[in-house]
Amino acid sequence: MTATIAEFFEGDLAPLVRRMADRPRGEGGDTDDDRRETRAMVWEGLVGLGALDGDDATGLAELLGSVLYQGPLLDTLTARALFPDAGLGQAPVALAAGEPTEADGTVSARCDFVGFADEVEHFAVVGGERSALVRAGHPSITTRRHEETGRGELHRVDFAGTPVTAWAGRPDWEGARVRQAAYLVGLAQAALDHAVDYATTRRQFGRAIGANQALSFRLAEMSMRVDAARLLVHDPGTPAHAAATLGEVADLARTVTTATMQIHGAAGMRSDDDAQLYYRRAAAESVRLPQPRG
Amino acid sequence: MTGFREEVCALLCEDAVRSEIAQTRRLPYGQESGLLDVHRRLGKLGWLAINWPERYGGSGATIVEKAIVTEEMIRHGVPENVHSLGVDIVGNAINLMGTDEQKERYLPGLARGETTANVLFSEPDVGSDLGSLAARAEPDGDGYRLTGRKIYNMKAQHSDFALCAARTSTGPVNYAGITLFLVPLHSLGTVIEPVWNLSEERFDLITLDGIRIGREDVLGEVDDGWQVLNRVLPFERTGLDHSAKAERTLAALREHAPPGCGDRLARLETRVRAARLLAWRCIANLHEGRPDEIHSATAKWYTSETAKEVSVAAVELLGPRALLDARDPDAIADGLFDAAFREAPGLTLAQGSSEIMLYFVATSKLGLPS
Ligand SMILES: Cc1cc2nc3c(=O)[nH]c(=O)nc-3n(C[C@H](O)[C@H](O)[C@H](O)COP(=O)(O)OP(=O)(O)OC[C@H]3O[C@@H](n4cnc5c(N)ncnc54)[C@H](O)[C@@H]3O)c2cc1C
Repeated sequence: MTATIAEFFEGDLAPLVRRMADRPRGEGGDTDDDRRETRAMVWEGLVGLGALDGDDATGLAELLGSVLYQGPLLDTLTARALFPDAGLGQAPVALAAGEPTEADGTVSARCDFVGFADEVEHFAVVGGERSALVRAGHPSITTRRHEETGRGELHRVDFAGTPVTAWAGRPDWEGARVRQAAYLVGLAQAALDHAVDYATTRRQFGRAIGANQALSFRLAEMSMRVDAARLLVHDPGTPAHAAATLGEVADLARTVTTATMQIHGAAGMRSDDDAQLYYRRAAAESVRLPQPRG
Repeated sequence: MTGFREEVCALLCEDAVRSEIAQTRRLPYGQESGLLDVHRRLGKLGWLAINWPERYGGSGATIVEKAIVTEEMIRHGVPENVHSLGVDIVGNAINLMGTDEQKERYLPGLARGETTANVLFSEPDVGSDLGSLAARAEPDGDGYRLTGRKIYNMKAQHSDFALCAARTSTGPVNYAGITLFLVPLHSLGTVIEPVWNLSEERFDLITLDGIRIGREDVLGEVDDGWQVLNRVLPFERTGLDHSAKAERTLAALREHAPPGCGDRLARLETRVRAARLLAWRCIANLHEGRPDEIHSATAKWYTSETAKEVSVAAVELLGPRALLDARDPDAIADGLFDAAFREAPGLTLAQGSSEIMLYFVATSKLGLPS
């Protein structure tokens, strides 16, 4: 399944996917609507190719990171595992984390950084002893898109006595963390490839900048660290160390994307260059799941 | 000395100044602030370019007072590129190397905070290796015609003129034959196109299509721009701007960090303190008339890397809250962490990249083979 999905992302679709949830700022270009259409099309494609079936979710997550996919798929996988009998069909679901309170079959909570809140059909409100599944679009729900570094589709969502359609225990954070770590491995690899390309083609002082060991060794080191991280996320023992693994890979993703910016020089800061996109996405994705402390 | 710092702080803490600064953070996307009332206030007092002679709008003070003003402006969040380009780079170069006519023409407006200037060095194919620049100035009567493309410069929309590097002759040594010119920015034959980037301040691509400049617009000697650059560079590369930025981000991080970050914060704080010491060592060198290139490179590298580290660490320690933009109603610290994170990559590139500083220290300080 992952191989077929990888083919789906190849070619002309790739640059569209990388920016499918990157909100344009003052600079013009595609509108939000164009990007929403891409997102809808990608969701259809993924679902059609069996992305919700749940086998090799780690490999799929890594692939999604490598194409910088942004959408509700990873949240949906976590929610489906949490509510296996809720008849979710192929509906997209967003995880909404907060400190929910329950009353008479309803849930109330303020949840920040909820992904794709205006496009999903359900929310899984998590963070309490129990998790609550609610239908999106109920009048008790208000959403507001955050203005944030990632410029993505993160929302603040307020639930004010929203009817609950199904209850469950706590989500499988271990599984979610491993998938998020795998996503970040894919993202780091893609950023690294972008940096290697640039180091090979950009010339200063009469030669490719990558001919300088200051850069080539740094790239080699990051390549080795990404290699190690990839083994980690796919290792069957990792779920037992999920939080630590995610912490480590999150750090790696920030390090690699920061170095990718440095290697690109001022050109990497340009809105039309993917270096800054990887840098901003790594920031957002590296802190996306609630991290345990201590 | 402390007295002067307090006076500067008192001005920068006034409500009107604070609200003006806060407003600049919430401009619609795609807009950015130019010179502000606070610059003009400082200018009126003769503080903006305090180390310039009084007849050019300064107060005849030393580089130490200038450093205090710069440091406090940044600590208080005054947008500083518009000021540092005009006063610290272009104005400073004119003050050090310009003719009396050039000083009279350009310095008073800069010192009053009424005009600013930008810097046209980089080109699409020319970044770190400035010696290989391609823009050229060809003799034309008693002046020159300037042709070339300049990119990654900032604030063209707020600047009246620019300091532009162009080739006036070619020879075996590529950095010989470069001349610095003071050029008008908004004249026929100059096309300015925005180059949007991830930070709050856009870049520009400026195409100079044979614009005419006079002999009197040369800064320093013809073919000798490299000398001017070497003379001016130690003033640009003190690291003070970066150390002040690092301090500011760290102070906010301290305020918002969750429990359990103490060790990490203490280590960052130690580095920020060291950064400030390195920066002030450069200021002391300049004050004593003994600029030191190795100290400058050390300060530039250490302070910019530290400022970047603090900005990236804020995201790690604060989580998604750190990503909220000043325009989000739930933003913490007025969106400072998001802005600092987006600004961070540029710090270790502009004014001499980290790798160029490392190369310089490896070869000049350590004497390693080049
Ligand atoms: C925020 C910002 C503001 C700027 N403002 C201005 C301005 O006002 N006016 C202006 O003219 N320019 C400006 N610049 C451009 C700046 O001068 C250049 O970014 C700088 O000279 C580096 O050039 P480059 O970005 O093209 O990177 P490149 O020179 O292409 O270098 C790319 C990467 O390779 C590394 N590298 C290059 N050579 C070597 C080597 N020999 N060994 C090891 N590593 C190497 C660099 O360090 C960098 O990491 C600005 C840049 C930034 C980021």
